Amino acid sequence: MTETPLIRLSDVSKVYHLESGDFTALDHVSLDIMENDFVAIMGPSGSGKSTMMNQLGILDVPTSGDLYIEGKNVKHMSTLERTHLRRDTIGYIFQKFYLIPLLSAYENVEYPLILKYKKRDATGRAAALLESVGIDREKSNHRPSQLSGGQQQRVAIARALVNDPKILLCDEPTGNLDRKTGIQIMDILVDLQKKGKTVILVTHDPKIAEYAHRTIQLEDGRIVES
Amino acid sequence: MSKLDIFFDLSVRSVRLNFLRSMLASIGIVIGVVAISSMGMLGANMQLEIKDQLSGSANTIVISTETVRMGAPGQMFTSSSSSGISKSQLTQIRNAVGTNGTVIPVISNSTMYTINSVTGRGTMYAMEPNDITAFLTIANGTNIQEDYQCLVGSTVATNFNVKNGTTKIKIGSSTQTDRPSLRIVGVLEERGSTTDGISTDNAIIVSKSWYTDQYSTTKYSQVNVVVDDIDNINATETAIDEKLNKNKDAVRIDDSSSRLSSISSTIGTLSSMFMAIGAISLVVAAVSIFNVMMMSVNERIQEIGILLSIGTEKGEVRRMFLYEAFILGLVGGIVGAIASFVIGYAVVSSLLGTTDYYFLPGSLIYLPVGMVVGIVTCVVSGLYPAWRASNMDPIDALRAE
Repeated sequence: MTETPLIRLSDVSKVYHLESGDFTALDHVSLDIMENDFVAIMGPSGSGKSTMMNQLGILDVPTSGDLYIEGKNVKHMSTLERTHLRRDTIGYIFQKFYLIPLLSAYENVEYPLILKYKKRDATGRAAALLESVGIDREKSNHRPSQLSGGQQQRVAIARALVNDPKILLCDEPTGNLDRKTGIQIMDILVDLQKKGKTVILVTHDPKIAEYAHRTIQLEDGRIVES
Repeated sequence: MSKLDIFFDLSVRSVRLNFLRSMLASIGIVIGVVAISSMGMLGANMQLEIKDQLSGSANTIVISTETVRMGAPGQMFTSSSSSGISKSQLTQIRNAVGTNGTVIPVISNSTMYTINSVTGRGTMYAMEPNDITAFLTIANGTNIQEDYQCLVGSTVATNFNVKNGTTKIKIGSSTQTDRPSLRIVGVLEERGSTTDGISTDNAIIVSKSWYTDQYSTTKYSQVNVVVDDIDNINATETAIDEKLNKNKDAVRIDDSSSRLSSISSTIGTLSSMFMAIGAISLVVAAVSIFNVMMMSVNERIQEIGILLSIGTEKGEVRRMFLYEAFILGLVGGIVGAIASFVIGYAVVSSLLGTTDYYFLPGSLIYLPVGMVVGIVTCVVSGLYPAWRASNMDPIDALRAE
């Protein structure tokens, strides 16, 4: 295949310098993720899943090796460029939802749009997205604390989608939800992948990983199976 | 409101969420603003009042020598100092002034006197009778017509129950025998404090010819020049200076405006000092704002992590916290300005006894000044907390509970 991968990890290592000595969380990992892939990253706790997630989300930079997003090396980007890449190219869905507590559901979804366009949303995109994930108009005026876990995760998905990112990065998206709600959330993600998004799931739950087309197994910071 | 900055919105919400804490911190700013504004206004009102009182004699030049010490009347009638303005110097002054103004030579001295068997002490001024009416106003009675007549100031007249034309005054210490006795023929209008060296309220005015007969003085304590056109005052001063101080500094030449500016600057220094004391309370307020901002940052670490991880720029996070500090300052500043307006009015009216100058721009300007200082203090106190928030590592911040 001559197509440029959307994400390429090339010999990426991440070493944390702790008082008890250096800890290698990722150990020379190489990995290509193509556009419209549905990838699950699995592994027991301590295997480097979170570190991998932080690398893919450009929340952190590799200690050594190179990470390319759309062919561009993250290492050579400024902090501001990385911030804009996070804003425009990646949608984050977290286990704990991480909605902004001071803002209503609607405002949480609108927020990344404001970050990008520096003005309030006049296109109705934020409202439409909320509706598409099943949050009605009345609920969208509620604060996150007034919503159930499933509702919060739906709001978080709408927020992740609002700037039309290529990549959806999901860190245990169903981890804080009951089974039934979890399945509903996974159905939304499957649907989004079908519509062209690249979905990366980080999970330790094999049942959730089954939704993915490709599973990468991590152990002690290395890929043991992919 | 569609253009409202969402970071401002977030800051407003944060202040509302911690309303009590935020308002307590703002009270510190209120106190600081009140201290600065009301002290500033007090100083400004003092300055305005004094300026008003002194501007009456703004067209007067006062020429004097550094030390004028005449022999005390009633003791040795000799001049103990050669200092003073001589006749020839007076002629030079008259030449220099020409037709630009009136030259009024004055001899002054401190003296004891007795009226109606009561002893008093005051200043005795000796002037030509014609100059008296040119320079001073007689409230009732007549001017001095002959020697052994005199005028008294309004305070003397009240205190000693003086009756024009009949009351007599004995000049000199009561232990002295053979004191000269003068008839009081008129009372001067109240003059208040002046900058021209002639304070008549507690004084006796005698004729120059009587004084020189009595005390055989040939020198004048001071010469006042009343300039007809105030615009000529500097030119006239220069002319006098060139004539009299050609070889050495023989006389000192002052005008009211220079005295006024020196008094004003003294009051200015005082009021700056008051304001500096007020500023101390603002420093205390700054510390509490800093504390509240640090609490706000520490409580919202996870939120900051969310903001940073989903693509908020560092500058935007910084702005959010600076807005918060600004809001605290704005609330404190506005409340402080309103409180200062009321408290300042009370302070000025109780300390100065007049609020005539309170509503002038020169006084009210201290309200916005205090407000701006309060807001700036808050924003400056918020700088470090805002910087800290914007430089957090998003991963660590997200992990915080």
